[in-house]
Amino acid sequence: MRLRLSLALAALLLIGPARLAGQDRRVADRLDPITAGEVQRLVDSARVVGLPTEPLVQKALEGNTLGASGDRIRAVVAALYGQLSRARAALGGQASDAEVTAAAAAIRAGVPADTLQRLRALRSGRSLVVPISVLADLVAEGTPPDRAYQSVFDLARDGRSDDDFLALRRRSQVPSQRAGPDAGEPPAPRPAPDPPGKP
Amino acid sequence: MTPREAALSPSPAESPARPVRLSQGDAGGGLSGTTESDAVLVARTLAGDLAAFAGLMARYRNGLGLYALHMLGNREDAEEALQDAFVRAYWALASCRDPQRFGAWLFRIVVNRCRTLQRRLRRHDRVVVLPDDLPTRGDVSETLGWREEIGRALDRLRPQYREAFLLRYVEGMEYEEIARLTGAKEPAVRMRVKRASQKLRELLHDVHAG
Amino acid sequence: MTFMPGDRRPQPDDPTLRRVVAELRRPVAFDPAIDAGALRVIGAGRRRATWARSRRWLGLAAALAASVVIAVGVYRTAPAGPRSRPVLLRLVAPASSAVVVVGDFNDWNPAANPLEQTGAGEWTIRLELRPGRYRYTFLVDGREWKSDPAEPPAPDDDYGAPLSVLTVS
Repeated sequence: MRLRLSLALAALLLIGPARLAGQDRRVADRLDPITAGEVQRLVDSARVVGLPTEPLVQKALEGNTLGASGDRIRAVVAALYGQLSRARAALGGQASDAEVTAAAAAIRAGVPADTLQRLRALRSGRSLVVPISVLADLVAEGTPPDRAYQSVFDLARDGRSDDDFLALRRRSQVPSQRAGPDAGEPPAPRPAPDPPGKP
Repeated sequence: MTPREAALSPSPAESPARPVRLSQGDAGGGLSGTTESDAVLVARTLAGDLAAFAGLMARYRNGLGLYALHMLGNREDAEEALQDAFVRAYWALASCRDPQRFGAWLFRIVVNRCRTLQRRLRRHDRVVVLPDDLPTRGDVSETLGWREEIGRALDRLRPQYREAFLLRYVEGMEYEEIARLTGAKEPAVRMRVKRASQKLRELLHDVHAG
Repeated sequence: MTFMPGDRRPQPDDPTLRRVVAELRRPVAFDPAIDAGALRVIGAGRRRATWARSRRWLGLAAALAASVVIAVGVYRTAPAGPRSRPVLLRLVAPASSAVVVVGDFNDWNPAANPLEQTGAGEWTIRLELRPGRYRYTFLVDGREWKSDPAEPPAPDDDYGAPLSVLTVS
């Protein structure tokens, strides 16, 4: 506890002021003013309540690069904010930003909060990033949820390493996902990109 | 080649002996000094080559600037819209689905930047910018006067009418294309062009006749 | 430019308007300084993206150093924070001339991480990533998004492009 406090204090001294104040320039530079303002508002709110902010920024930049409209970006980032909130509520204030981010992906995939809480209890004292991330991927890929939960719980109960969780995910991938050069998915049709600044 | 693609080719002021060309491919050098196609320059930009993006900007600056100038009424605002559009285009370049038609994609960004700037513009008078192809000094005052009148008349149009008129007759776009670009329905676009034409005719007929 | 041979732009019927349009079509040159201004802004954005990535490392290194000092009165030693791991991304795209990767690790910046051609049709890049979950995709020849066949598809596809997810332990 005291170690965490000292690390947090040191981080705050050196990184905090630069982060706490001011707008994220990446958002201001790359998004139209309305979208940038809304994203910044969500980032500021996230910071105040102790949610990770970087996933929100990255989600907005992703939309910008992939040609999404401002409306779409705002909706997606707002939805992610909700998922991060539920993830934080499920894992508690002690969870790291990386754990909360992974948990948001799991919640997005349909993993219930109490499943995450149970995983937290089974793997107390160790990082949950990889187990939660693997759980999210298993469920999203179509593994029956109960089987996915049980597989991950078993590894957590046995105190297995992160690499063992990753191996579980690799075993569950369909063959095309592990095949060679041309096995990547064909590009999904993209929505027509709206230029930044579209009213 | 659509009329708009022809309109987006490098200004003849840069290469007066050349006929109008497609907006991509053999752009004839222009100020950038490059003959590489838009698709190649886009790919090189995405691979990290900023000089390639500089080539794209040089290729389209004058053509797109002309639209921004007439839409916004003065060079300062047009330059702001252009620069802003270039920066946004760079960051969103990966979303340009057809790099062969980069010019058309960039033009959409310019149109939207003009719309945004239009809404928050400081209201100052249109500043007349003389064209580059004035043949003799004797034409200057007459041209200045005529352009002033045109500028004043454009200013009196509603922005969406001005936009539709410029897109139709200066950029040479089809009505359907204008509708897609602006989000208005095609009948509404036709109406806007018609209303703009009527208003300009009323305002300028006497000047011309005089 | 007014009525160049091959100019197929529509003309108004009214003679006054034809004259107006002819005038509006006359070319005007714009200052190349506009391009330079745009490049300055773009360059600053690229530097910020690079700096933002570096700053996490510098900040972490500085925080670790400071925490050692702060923790001296409390602890004898201070353990290091999470370290980065090398990750190799690979895509086989034989007919391509340029491949870049964009993702959560580079602000989705197409100019940040071009892949290197390391074999017949093979493109690779080595990244240093801290433990975490990263979504990403490849952009081939500036026009086609391709997911990574070696990693699972990202379940949260919000913008319609094929993405992959990478978990670093």
